[in-house]
Amino acid sequence: MQCRSDAKVTALVGPSGSGKTSLIESIAGLRSASGRIVIDSISLAELPPERRRIGYVPQDVVLFPHLSVRDNIFYGGRDRGRFDSLCHTLELVPLLDRSPTTLSGGERQRVAIARALMTDPRLLLLDEPLASVDQPLRERVLMYLRRVRDLDVPMIYVTHQQFEAVALSSWCIVLRDGRVAAEGRPREILFADPSSGALENVFEVSNPRHEPEKGITRVVTSDGLELVLPHDRVADVGFPMIVRISAEEIVLFGERPGAISSRNLIEGTVTAIRETDGIVDLVVAAPSPIRVRITRSAADELELANGSRVWLAMRSRAFRIVG
Amino acid sequence: MSVVGLTLRVAVISTLIVAPLATIVAALSWRARSRTIIDAIASLPLVLPPTAVGFLLLQVLSRNILFTAAAVVIACAVMSFPLMFVAARAAIDSSDVRYFDVARTLGASPLRAFSTVTLPLAWRGLLAGVILAFCRSIGEFGATIIVAGNIPGRTQTLALAIYDRINMGHDSEALLLVMFVVIAALTAIVASELLIRHQRRRASR
Repeated sequence: MQCRSDAKVTALVGPSGSGKTSLIESIAGLRSASGRIVIDSISLAELPPERRRIGYVPQDVVLFPHLSVRDNIFYGGRDRGRFDSLCHTLELVPLLDRSPTTLSGGERQRVAIARALMTDPRLLLLDEPLASVDQPLRERVLMYLRRVRDLDVPMIYVTHQQFEAVALSSWCIVLRDGRVAAEGRPREILFADPSSGALENVFEVSNPRHEPEKGITRVVTSDGLELVLPHDRVADVGFPMIVRISAEEIVLFGERPGAISSRNLIEGTVTAIRETDGIVDLVVAAPSPIRVRITRSAADELELANGSRVWLAMRSRAFRIVG
Repeated sequence: MSVVGLTLRVAVISTLIVAPLATIVAALSWRARSRTIIDAIASLPLVLPPTAVGFLLLQVLSRNILFTAAAVVIACAVMSFPLMFVAARAAIDSSDVRYFDVARTLGASPLRAFSTVTLPLAWRGLLAGVILAFCRSIGEFGATIIVAGNIPGRTQTLALAIYDRINMGHDSEALLLVMFVVIAALTAIVASELLIRHQRRRASR
């Protein structure tokens, strides 16, 4: 497996048991592995973990419970300037005197990331950082992760959530049974193939035009698709930003509907159909691929086949703001 | 009451020797391949009759140490070592190895990671070991009487003095000594319990 350093964040995705955690533990030096691990043409395999300069934040975070947040962060290094700037970037100042046992999942993640970055690592490894964070807070943590990405430390980001890979990474590697099954730009890798099981549609949107009197904001995706979002949700969000909508939230019409409350009505062509146990997953080219999940019964009634013309209705409030 | 003074002094010195030593051996056995052998040897005094340990010490110790207070300390240390060792090993074993691992990815050598993360997290178990070792030293009888005899004012500790008083039929003096031992042991246990509770309150703040 190769990670390119021009991709600031490489997402490592794959089903559980595919070897994601084993791989990054081997890079961190916590698991003996046969083979070679090379960074900046330095071979790591012979070095003990403390001399590798690899920042590692495991899935369960592992803050030292007997040390304060401040002492946890300083455990990674004593550089005062680095400490101050990380506390500022990750908004840790109010937490410094607390005990890690009193922090929320998202706060713990931020502390662990700051601690790992204190070592001035060559590479930062994050193992499913959002898995231990409650749903309403995930999008906020994702915002912090985007800030970390901008610190110019290359990152390998393990996840099984496609929208996280799209929101953060510029290169995506799919592991299956311990081997690289596919790699490429996350959008192409994860959404073009109906067998990937992706249930989320993720868009990077920009160029907002706010129409507060109508309660909407018009945005344009990176593929040129125009979307309408609820104004109150995006009024004070920075652009460009990531939004997502579940494949199960999209309503399909066989012909153009008349008056409809959904603010997004998009015409497209079915390019892939896959059925498992009465669940039908479609990819609709609009023209960028959009995934839709419907029942067998609905697919039969619409007489769907490859090449069918369809209209997609998406309520503006069905979009989740990733940040 | 020079018996009490001697007993306390011996127990404190013996515990001060045993606590770090047994912790180091427990740490070495933590991830060692020859772990079973280390464990068996370190636990031996726990399963042997104290008089057997006394006999072995008698063969090993030089003549000018035998029948002195130093011999008492050595007997107590050897007999209480396994208690501290077993407690320390259980405490270290039950600590999550991931704390140690993460400390190393943060640049800590194995020694630093162990002493700054694993040991502090195991402190409750270590404290229990110290209390056990201390109480064992106070109560040591079998090995002591063989290597140090029962010389009043020189090597006669509480346990030996109680034995003496009973033999001489001085039951009321024996009772006094027994009461002292009970109070000392209870104090040690209650003090450790309070310390643990205080620490827990601090941690949850």
